[in-house]
Amino acid sequence: MNAAERRWIRADLRARRGQAILTVLAVAGIVTALITAATLLEDGTNPWRGLFARGNGAHVWVHTKDAPDPALLRSLDGVADIAGPYRSAPATFALGGKKAPVALQEMSPVLPAVGRPIVRDGRWLDAADPAGVVVERSFARASGLRAGGAFPVVGLDGRTHALTVAGLAESGDQGFYPEWTPGLAWILPGTLDQVEPKIARSESVVGLRLADPDDTALVAQHAITKLAGQVQRVTTWREVEASMELDNRLLGVLLALFGVAGLVAAALAIANATGGRVLTQRRDIATLKSLGFTRRQVARMLLAEHGALGLAGIVAGVLCGRLVTAYALADTVAVPLSPVPLLAIAFGAAAMVVVAVWLPAWRGGGTPPLPAAPVAPPRGHLSRLARLALLVRLPPALVLGARDAFTRRLPAFLTTFGVAVPMMMITIGLGCWATLDAFQRHPERVGQAAPLLARPGAVPATSAGQVALADPDVLAAYPGSEVDALVPGQTRTVRARALGSVTDPYPFSVVEGRLFRDRGEAVAGQGLLDLLHVQVGDVIRVTVGGTPVIVRIVGRVLEPEQDGEVLSVPLDGLAAKDALPPQYHALVLRPGADLAAVRTRLQSQGLEVSYVVNPADRLVVIRVIIVALVVVLALIGAANLLTASAVGLRDHALDLAVLKAMGLTPRQVMATLVTGTGLLVVLGAGAGAVAGALLSSGLIDLQGAASGMGAGIGRAPAPLTLLLAVLTAVGAALLIALIPARRAARARIPVTPR
Amino acid sequence: MTTASEAGQPAIRTVNLVKIYQTGGLPVPAVRGVDLRVEPGEFVAVMGPSGSGKSTLVHMLGGLDTRTSGEIWVEGRRVDTLNESAWAVLRRQQIGFVFQFFNLVDNMTVADNVELPALLAGTTPRHARERREYLLGELGLADKADSAPAQLSGGEQQRVALARALANQPRVLLADEPTGNLDSRNTRDVLRLLGEVHRQGQTIVLVTHDGRVAGLADRVVTLLDGQIVDDGAVAPRRRTRGGAGDVVELRS
Ligand SMILES: Nc1ncnc2c1ncn2[C@@H]1O[C@H](COP(=O)(O)OP(=O)(O)O)[C@@H](O)[C@H]1O
Ligand SMILES: [Mg+2]
Repeated sequence: MNAAERRWIRADLRARRGQAILTVLAVAGIVTALITAATLLEDGTNPWRGLFARGNGAHVWVHTKDAPDPALLRSLDGVADIAGPYRSAPATFALGGKKAPVALQEMSPVLPAVGRPIVRDGRWLDAADPAGVVVERSFARASGLRAGGAFPVVGLDGRTHALTVAGLAESGDQGFYPEWTPGLAWILPGTLDQVEPKIARSESVVGLRLADPDDTALVAQHAITKLAGQVQRVTTWREVEASMELDNRLLGVLLALFGVAGLVAAALAIANATGGRVLTQRRDIATLKSLGFTRRQVARMLLAEHGALGLAGIVAGVLCGRLVTAYALADTVAVPLSPVPLLAIAFGAAAMVVVAVWLPAWRGGGTPPLPAAPVAPPRGHLSRLARLALLVRLPPALVLGARDAFTRRLPAFLTTFGVAVPMMMITIGLGCWATLDAFQRHPERVGQAAPLLARPGAVPATSAGQVALADPDVLAAYPGSEVDALVPGQTRTVRARALGSVTDPYPFSVVEGRLFRDRGEAVAGQGLLDLLHVQVGDVIRVTVGGTPVIVRIVGRVLEPEQDGEVLSVPLDGLAAKDALPPQYHALVLRPGADLAAVRTRLQSQGLEVSYVVNPADRLVVIRVIIVALVVVLALIGAANLLTASAVGLRDHALDLAVLKAMGLTPRQVMATLVTGTGLLVVLGAGAGAVAGALLSSGLIDLQGAASGMGAGIGRAPAPLTLLLAVLTAVGAALLIALIPARRAARARIPVTPR
Repeated sequence: MTTASEAGQPAIRTVNLVKIYQTGGLPVPAVRGVDLRVEPGEFVAVMGPSGSGKSTLVHMLGGLDTRTSGEIWVEGRRVDTLNESAWAVLRRQQIGFVFQFFNLVDNMTVADNVELPALLAGTTPRHARERREYLLGELGLADKADSAPAQLSGGEQQRVALARALANQPRVLLADEPTGNLDSRNTRDVLRLLGEVHRQGQTIVLVTHDGRVAGLADRVVTLLDGQIVDDGAVAPRRRTRGGAGDVVELRS
């Protein structure tokens, strides 16, 4: 790059420091928001990463009959450190008629360096409290255990030991219960000896921490060979990670939507800043070209200047994102974003910046080299309407401002558009928020009429329904069973859910077609329809629990589970061996009933009751992102508005002299300027809100369809919310417009153009 | 400034130059067949009423506007066929412009404005600075080097513009009503400078509709409706070449 180009860029940046900083901030804000969102998503859907990093986990766990020689394992190639060996003994946890197998694993009161459980509640093992055990958290949650509660276990010899829960801890060394069984509890060695005195009935576990996780398979093989014949089983971090991974398609697509919206917003901010700047600089650029700058040089200069601002924003955003996740979210997030999404965000944003800057830069380069005379104000005559307005004594500022707003097309368009687009995206964000609200307030509308599932537990399966219905808060109990179904052309199974009967069907949320009315009929989620390439009305052949059946899909339901790959049939449509007795009852409660209270009551009756997970509960992170995004979008709107008013004021310099000459006071001049901007802002905010409201439910439905749950979940934001948002936007915009207007109204206007 | 004059080439020559603007589909002829020949070292004033095509003519001479038909030759080289960037390169090396509204880059200091063409032409920053210091010194603006253009009076701004136009020692200086926006005192200052530059041998084409300004030139060309209606030398020739009183060094 030529020294002249560098000199010009330096001078221009110096002359508009504030604007440049705002651009950098807007881009940095978006990138920070994206990185934070992606980090939260990654952490939320892959909890293993965080747990493993926090607990300095072992990559391979080897279960052997006798305790192996630690030195032998430590000397293996690729092994950095080891955990254990620990003795582990099977026992049965038995509380209130409920029984669950549990592995009791010894640990010392001092946490080890490798494979540390992370205490989340209560405290770690303590030699002063030999009866205290620390229970793995997912197991504790499933079994309703709390720190300080009782933990009675029955050893293999049949004796019961009254242990207590000292604390709850998480661990990245085994998967969550109940996907990963048995449940895990850490216990002091002395106490374990009492519960299980016989060494022969226990096993030994040792964890290997590897220097390079990619060597896992190899090192595991070496360990098995070294411990010839001793090894009972080996688990690796890959299995643990896979078992912990959450179904995240809906979250992923929503986040992708936000990511794209954020990048578009960034591009818009940059394009607007560059375009507006170039517009105000046409005269200077023409001068440069008359001096002998080529089109390519001018374009390159503009690209370098504005692109550098965008890239500075990206770098700052990446740093900020890292800092935010490292410090502000230190409690939730243990591991920074992995490189692939980080690079995707950084390079995506960089590509956006280049594209957004390139067009205005190239067009700026095409400015003809003839520096035009200073622009004369368009000789707009007062329209008939304006004259009428003056006649009926509307304040002159209003009339002049309104006329002003529409005589200059390009700045008017810039202002309106610059407000409308962020407003539209804010409205879409509010639509997402409203959708989440609808999920949580009206789960029955998204296919979750029953918030509780009751399994027989200690009650005979045939009478579980009656027991549940006896509760005053239970309105209905639909018997249900879930079996695997094989569908044609697929190697894997999908879930077939038999719930309710033909005469008393479960209240599914049917969005297309109708509910089943006969035995040969079924309804399905979007995911299943997509998987099988079928439509409502088609007949399919499935093998349900081993019995081939032919069903007609008569309707599409909103299906929040299994990515929508669920076939729902009436229970009496299943073969009797699959249908009876029902595995569970789906309980519909009286509106306003206290879930936890009902659950406790039914548990005390001997039923085993679990909550149905609302998809919105998994999406709470989205709310954080919505708030962050709205802030960033507001920032972008502000930046756009400032650019637009800079463009506008350049054109206004002469007008102001005219207005003042007409006898308007500075206050009236200011009011005129603010009215001009205000009208455009109202127009932009209104148009943006309407477009956003129209788009949001459609977009969210599109997302819903992509996630398998199915279209029909999208909600537009409530009219009142929307109105409030528009009013806030307009108010803020007027405040922003006031700053330059005030300065301009006060400034002494040179009467002759230079 | 020797090669071209040795070869006997005119500094600028046009052959049947035509410019027709299209406004709203209607052809507006601004320049209609101009044949003009400007010798090296000559000072030509272009006069004519407003709208007669003076600006259009000099803009075409500098490549700021494209011709509709005809030929333009600069120093014996045909240039009307050049593309946009070749024109830009030609301008940066051989043509200096001075406009009615000065057209200084507002964001840059006076010093930067004057150094810009030299830097653009690839001069080292040190040489550009030395040249700028020399020019501003000669034009009496040495103390304004670090000011913003907006802080200067109109006459000072036009003198800075002149310094910028001369930064690369162009073959031809094109000036479009350089005094059109100045009061009489500033007009006198700028004209005095133009005269001095001319005495150094600078070729100048100056557009004006002020008769006193034109009186400074060697030759006055009068345009009317895009055509040359009068072309004559101004007598008596007051041109004196060189001398100890040189103010502005040219073609060193
Ligand atoms: N960009 C343009 N588009 C259309 N017509 C133009 C343009 N520039 C100049 N003209 C017309 O060309 C004629 C000559 O203009 P100009 O060269 O500016 O005259 P002068 O400089 O002698 O006043 C005028 O009639 C003017 O209206
Ligand atoms: Mg003119």
